This record gives sequence, structure tokens and C-alpha cells, in this order.
Amino acid sequence: MKNSKIYRLLAVLLAITLLASACGSDDADGNAGGDDVSDDAGDGGDTDDSGDSDDSGDSGDSGDTDSVDVTQGGVLAAVLARGEVNCGIPTSAVAFAQQDANGVWQGFDVDYCRAVAAAVLGDKEAVNFVPLTAAERFTAVQVGEVDLLMRTTTWTQGRDASGDQAMDFGPTTFFDGQQLAGRRSDGFSEASTLADVDGASVCTNAGTTTEKNISDGVAAAGGTFTLVPAEDIPTAVAAFVAGTCDIFTSDGSAVAGEAATNADNADGDWVVFPATPISKEPLGPVYPQNDSEWGDVINWVVFASIIADEKGIDSTNASDRLAQEEAALAAGGEGLDAEALRLLGGEGQLQSALGLEPDAFLNMIEQVGNYDEIYNAHIPAIGLSREGSANARWTEGGLIYAPPAR
Amino acid sequence: MSSIEDLGGIADPEAVFGHDDDEIMLPPEEPSLPPAEWIRKNLFSSKGSGVLTVLFGLLVWFAYRGVLNFAFHNPSRKWAAVPTNIRLMLTQSYPEAQYVRIWFSLGIIIVLSGLTLGVVRSHPMINLRKVLSGSMTLGAFLALSALIIKNNIQTDADGEFVRDEFAEVLRVDRGEALSGRWWVFALAALLIGVAGFLWFKLGDRRRFIFIPFLGVIYSVLGLMVLSLWVVPYGKYGLLPDGTFLAEKGATVAATTQGPWTVMWVLLGLSWFVGNKLLPSARALKVGLYLSWFLAPYVIIFVVLRDPELDWGHVFSTDIPMFLAFAIIGGAVLYFLTNPSLGEIGRIIAFGLLMLAAFHWLAAFFGWYPMLQKARLSFLVLAFFALAAANFAGPRKVRLGYVATWVGAMAVMHYLITMVNTPSTLDIQGGDDFIGGYLLSLVVAVFSLTLAFPVGVMFALARTSKLPIFRVLSTIFIEMSRGVPLITVLFFFATIIPLFLPQGMTITKLAAAVVALVLFSAAYVAENIRGGLQSVRRGQFEAADAMGLNTSQRVGLIVLPQALRVSIPPLVGQAIATYKETSLLAIIGLFDFLFIAGRVIPAQTQFISQRFEPLLFVSAIYWIGAYSMSRYSRSLEQRLGVGSR
Repeated sequence: MKNSKIYRLLAVLLAITLLASACGSDDADGNAGGDDVSDDAGDGGDTDDSGDSDDSGDSGDSGDTDSVDVTQGGVLAAVLARGEVNCGIPTSAVAFAQQDANGVWQGFDVDYCRAVAAAVLGDKEAVNFVPLTAAERFTAVQVGEVDLLMRTTTWTQGRDASGDQAMDFGPTTFFDGQQLAGRRSDGFSEASTLADVDGASVCTNAGTTTEKNISDGVAAAGGTFTLVPAEDIPTAVAAFVAGTCDIFTSDGSAVAGEAATNADNADGDWVVFPATPISKEPLGPVYPQNDSEWGDVINWVVFASIIADEKGIDSTNASDRLAQEEAALAAGGEGLDAEALRLLGGEGQLQSALGLEPDAFLNMIEQVGNYDEIYNAHIPAIGLSREGSANARWTEGGLIYAPPAR
Repeated sequence: MSSIEDLGGIADPEAVFGHDDDEIMLPPEEPSLPPAEWIRKNLFSSKGSGVLTVLFGLLVWFAYRGVLNFAFHNPSRKWAAVPTNIRLMLTQSYPEAQYVRIWFSLGIIIVLSGLTLGVVRSHPMINLRKVLSGSMTLGAFLALSALIIKNNIQTDADGEFVRDEFAEVLRVDRGEALSGRWWVFALAALLIGVAGFLWFKLGDRRRFIFIPFLGVIYSVLGLMVLSLWVVPYGKYGLLPDGTFLAEKGATVAATTQGPWTVMWVLLGLSWFVGNKLLPSARALKVGLYLSWFLAPYVIIFVVLRDPELDWGHVFSTDIPMFLAFAIIGGAVLYFLTNPSLGEIGRIIAFGLLMLAAFHWLAAFFGWYPMLQKARLSFLVLAFFALAAANFAGPRKVRLGYVATWVGAMAVMHYLITMVNTPSTLDIQGGDDFIGGYLLSLVVAVFSLTLAFPVGVMFALARTSKLPIFRVLSTIFIEMSRGVPLITVLFFFATIIPLFLPQGMTITKLAAAVVALVLFSAAYVAENIRGGLQSVRRGQFEAADAMGLNTSQRVGLIVLPQALRVSIPPLVGQAIATYKETSLLAIIGLFDFLFIAGRVIPAQTQFISQRFEPLLFVSAIYWIGAYSMSRYSRSLEQRLGVGSR
């Protein structure tokens, strides 16, 4: 009798102990591991939300906590000391951030995280990916939980303006815009405009600016429509497929991706319109406010990937190109591209001025690739080709443009 | 079916009726009616019931047909999404190279299950008649399903569906569709044939033949494992270089076949070993229960996390600290269990409690640094000291208590050291080394095992005579039950970290477990309170009359009866907690449902393919919940809930 009582007591005590130990780490102990910092609020609502501006009703309260470290301009030093970039990414966004069957993160935004790691630390795998919901992403930047946010985030004046949202925006990596999908059998065509939406019911993911854009747009065109809000994009698409609504709207990349891959569209009945998106959604990196040193690094990682694309430097030929330019320099400048030489870390390189190793961009291009490679590795899979889009090279009529590296 | 023979074959009546005191006598079987008679009596006893039978029968028929076609013969179904992502859904980013750790963990659980089944020696016997009629029904059901399902869809060489000019998918003709499902009919014919043959061969004797239920289950599992080697389920996956692999018609990879076969053999072996070790069952049982209790912690923190010990730190700090607490604490406890100590003992114990509380206070205000482990050890020591008076007595009892203390310290220090040692796992994408179904399971198991004792505590407190306990417990229970779980999860994941002292963090996983424990403890407490109220007054009085003190009365008389009555609602709560783990995604954890519903549909190959993973997730959740439900049914029958 006594014996079993002891065990019962032991069991209860252990339960309490382990409960307590699960919450605590040895705080005086240097080797406490495996704990991540507290996360700040988020409603876990939607994932792809480049047009989501109503982020921060709840984040103002925590904006003041840790921003001190951030504003002292130490992110680059902190990253170098840590040996790892904390990069905020979407929890799931087709082609931008997705986990493949092996649990490895893939995507356009994910590759830019890797590019930063390759440039700053020389290793593209030195990234700690932090999947963030739409609502918690800005708080994560403000409190320094992430060094960089590559999370299909639209650059808007309200988000950029200082105030309770302490963060800065880098150069746009992907120009997106809201579009609609309807059915030809319902009378929609490529030439349809917002005026044709009059009287239709529209599915979209709730709580984002896509909802506001379509309301404003249709009202301005003098029509009325029924809004069918859905929790997220897949739910909105499912409702569209099921016929709950006549039109489905979201960011152009998402709409085109669905139209290209959805089994319901096997007969090509879907049509994406209008050709010019109804809103501007420039997506790019976000980093802590007032840290120019770190901001310059991020900006120039993006610019370097664009310049490399312009000059035809890619992951396969970067080293050869460096050798070739160095040979040209040694030969007296015949056929020399001085900008490419500087970018790849040769004579007159400017990477050291950014606080990086001279071969930072060489590493980045070799390990991850230039803009074109990053784009083509992920975006065409959802049916968006680069040619003719806003994301084409500036020399080909697109908006992808970088300042010169000199 | 040879394994049935291995496990004892057709049992003799003695084995059925009585080697164990908790085995119940089976009530006499009702004589079975001939089929036509049964149908007339049960389905068409009157015009009204005949109409209802037909109506609802048709309803079930159409619903079942609809579900089958929706799941398997819908042109938009691409089931490759599930097998390709099976690893992602079950363990998320756990590295494939380290998968032996997952199998090892599963092995621990399998061995413990086998040993328990063997040691407990509960051999439910099942009537052969039931087995035979069950397999005939299953065969008929399979054949019927294969008949009513729509014709297969035509596919071209690339596996794409063939469509006509109106973009409608084309289906193969009826005969071809049915012949394509020959294996279902073969299976059905085998089931019906063998069972039917035995049925008629044995005649009326079939009612008096009993076979061990475990043997049947084990054979079925064996057949399922065997099917991995012969049935071409297909090979799917993503090669390390990112190539998508889809080999239809191949048998599954050897990395799946091998481990499952090993698991099956392990289960049989451990059952055998457990069964043969019966003579020492009592000690073994206690050891087994302790192992069950420790297994989740060991699996998670030691096996799966693969901690890399800093040996210098272990020898300089961890071991000396353990020894100090074990020896000094043991001495203190030995002194405190001295029967002639009197009030001094309680004063010392209270002093220890104050000391422990002071350390925590100091931690909160950051007065002086101290290892968390030391604070916890002080706290546990204080609790042991408070309980010491109950163990006052002869030398043997006192030494036993001290030994318990040393054992508790050993386990606690070992686990805390392991928990605090950084993991060597190279996980891509953050610190969370578990995700998917593993995460859901871990959270469910931790929450359930911890919520139960906490819930018992709150139930006792709520029925206590002391108003302070009663009020506090009532407030806690009503607060927890009055707030949605999502709010509680948010609170623990986002607000609690702000209250923690500087330098102390709480992982999302720990936050989720604590939130779920407290939340379900409130429900458990109410369920148990219901049970407590069903214990008659006479039981209390009888306990008092025997001179039992309060803890003896509660522990030996009241709680066992209350818990027995509470089994159905407690199992209901367990199932609810198991399913509530699907809410973890809202605090940013990648649980099973989130991966199926959001991560897989975001993969380029499977854009918007969410029905297949969701159906799979539903099936897995259902299997888990239904097993719990069946287990509770058998437990109720064993304990006679509802019948006595």
C-alpha cells in the first residue's frame, strides 16, 4: 500500500516539476538552447496579403519594447556576430515561400533571404527562417525578432511613415497588382473592366486591401456587387470553383497562378482581367527603421542581383566572368566591363564600403543566382512569365531597374 | 492466419473464464435468428419502420456513394499530394537522415505497448461467430463499394485525364472499370470465402469457439505490414535534388517497409516477453507505468532532440548539483520522517517552502542569479518535506521515502539537463524541431497526462471544505471554461512572455502545452466533480468508521469510485483535447492540419490541392479518436460502468 502511494506521489510531483521545467530555461546557464523568443500578436488570418494594410491595431503596444537595439544601427554587426540571418517569411504563399515535401523552404522571397545570407555571411544556408502570419510580421521587425522581412509585403506610405510602425522598405523585388478572375461562360473576357462586375458576387480573402480595392473600384465605376469574404485565398478559390461567386479577386500573381493550375480551369474557361491591375502592390524587403548600414546592405543585395541580370552574370558563369574581367584589366582595358569587375569584387570594389567582404556579391550570385534566375526558379511555375510583365528588365519595358554600381 | 495459432490458437474454456480476477464472465449469447427472420423482426416489423428503413437506407447509400466518388473518382483529385508529402505531414522538417530517431521513438512506444498488453494479461476473447460474420460483412461491403463507385477516368501516357471536346473527362466503360478493381473483388472473395467456409463447416459450434482478440488484431496488422512488401501502392516523394518522384505501381520504398516490419516483430516479441514475465508482474507493472509516464519526455527531449552534452558543464555543475540535492535533501527528509519529531517537522517544511518561494521571488526581481534547476529542486524539496509527516514510521518506510526523493531528483535533473542542452539537429527553418502530426501528438499526450492530475487536484479543491480552496478552484474553472481556447492560446503565446523575468523565455510549444493543460484541466475537474458527487455518503462514513484519514479516504475510497464513473466524460475530454491540437497554427506552430490545409496547397506541384490532404488528416484524426473511444468502451465494460 505504502509503495504504490509513493509512486503516485512521485508521479504527481514529476508532473508538476516537468510542467514547470518546460517553461523555464537555466537563465544563468550559458547553454540554454532551443528556446525561441516570444512572438507578438497576430490573428493568424491570411497568408498572402500583399495588400493588407490593417496590420497594426494591436502592434502599437509592443513597438516600444526592444526597438532600442535596433535604432542603434547594430543589425549588421549583430548578424555577423550571430552567424545567421533571421528572415521573416510567409507561413505559406505559393511560389514566394513554400515548404517542399522534404520540409525545405523554397520560393522567391525565401531565395532573397538566402541571397542576403550568402552576401553577408558567405553561406546561403545561414538563414533562420521565421514563418510569420500577416498580423505578426511588423511587430517581428520592430522588436528585432527578424533582421529582414521578405514576406510579400506591399510598400505603402502609411507603413513606411515613422510613428508606431518603425520600419523601412527596400527596393521592390516584385511588382504585383490586384486582378480578377471570371468565367468566359459568364460573359467575361480579357477586355472586361470593373464596370462589368456590376451585379456580380465576388470572392476574396477578407481583411486585406484587396477587399477595399474592389469595393472602391466597382463603386467608382458606378456598379454594385455582393462581397463574399473568405478566410484565405484557397478558400476563396474553392468558393469560386463551387460557383458560390462569379468572380474571384486577389493579387495578380495569385489569380494567375490559380488560373494556370486549377483543375476546374482545364478547359480554359477562366479569364483574368483587367489587363492593367486595379491596384499597385510593390513587394519587397522590409527592415528595421533608421539602420542605414543594414538597409544599404539589403538594398544593394537586391540591386546587385538586378545588375548581374542586366550584365548576364549568373550562378554558372560568375567566377569565369571575374577572371575574364581581371584578364581584360591586366591586358590594358580591352573589352573591360569595370562595373561587373567591381560588383564581383575585383579592382575598385565597393562592397567593403558596405561593411561586407569584397566577394560578397560573387558569393551571392554563385550560390543563389541573379534576379532572372531567382524569378524563373519559382514564378513561372504559377503561370507568370517575366516577358512583358512589370517585372521585366527596364531595357525591355519592365520596371526592374537598379542604380549603377560605381 | 498462422499467427493466431502462435498466440494461443483456439482457447480452452478455462482461458476464457477465469485465470484473472478482473476477467468477467460472459453473459449467455442470445440465440441468433435466421437472416430472413432477423430482417423481418428488426427492419420491417411494421409498415412505418419498413418505410423508414428503406428511406434511410437509400440516404446512406447515396451519401456513401457520393463520398466515395468525391474522394476517389473526382477528376480534380490528385492523391499524389498525400504520399509525396507524407513525411512533411507527419514530422514536418525533421531531417530524413535522422529518421532513425523517429523509428526508435516509435519502437519505444511499441515495446511498451507490447509489454503492457502482455503484463496486464487482459485477454479479451472474441467469439469466432463474430469474427466470421464480421469478415463476411467486410467482404460484402468492399465488393459493394467497388460496384457502386463511378467508372475510372481515362488517363493518357502522361497520367493526364483524357477529355472530350466539351472538356468533360472521359471514363472507361463499365466492364473495364470493374476489371480494373479486380483486387478489391479478390480480397472480398477471399474474406467471404474463408469465413463462409468456416461458418458452415463449424455449424453451431462456431458460437462456442473463442479466439484471442489480440491475436486477430496482431494478424491484421501483420497482413497490413505484409501488404507493404507485395502491394504496389506506389513510390512518391521529392528527391534531395528537388526532383519530383512519382512511380505508380511500385511497392513502397524499403525505408518504409523495413521499419514497419521491425515494429511488427517488436510488438509480438515484447508481448511475448511481457506475458512470460508475469511472476514478477507487480514490480514490472509499476515500472511499466513509470516508463509510460517518462516515455514522452525521454522521446522528445533525448531521442528526438539529440542534445549535445557539454561534458565539462555536466561534470562541473550538473552532477555535483544533483549529488548535493540528493544527499543533503535526503538527509533532511530522513530527519523529517522521524516519527517522534512532532511539530518541528512541519515548521522546518514550511521554512523550506518559504526559502523556495524566496528564490523564485529573487528570480522575478533579478536579485541574484541562480540556476532554474536549483530553484525547482528547492521547490520540490519543500513539497517532499511537507508530505514527509505522512511517511513517518519504521526505518524501512523512511528509507523508501528518501530513495523516492533521490529517484525523483535523478529523473528531474537528467531531464532538465537534457532539455537545456542545445539540439544538434540541423533543422532548416527555425528552432521548432517537431511539426506536423508529431507536434499534434506530442502536445496532446503532454496535455492529457498533465491535465489529468491537475484536474483531479482542482476537482478535490472544489469539493473541499476549505472555502479558500473552493473559491479559488471555482474561479479558475469558471474562468477557463468561460474563455475560448483560441484566446487562452493567444494569451499564453503572446502575453505570458511579457511577464517573464529578464532572460527567461518560453517556447511556443511550451506555451501551447501549458495553455492546453490548464484549459482541459478545468473540464477534467468538472468531469471528476460529477464523479465525486455520485459517490454515496455512506462510503465517506464507512471510511471514517474505519479510521482512515482524509488522504486515505480520498485516495482509497472516494477517488477510485469517482474516476470509474467519470470514464465516459473523461475520454470525451481526451478526444476533444486531441482534436484541439489543430488550433495550434494560430500561434504560429505548424500542426498537422495546418500543413495539410495551408502548406501543401502552397506547393507548386499541388497548388490548391487541399481536399486530399484534408481527407487524409480527417482519417488519421478519426482513427485516433475512435481508438480512444473503443478503449474507453472496453474499460467501462471491465469496470462495469453503467451495469453495476
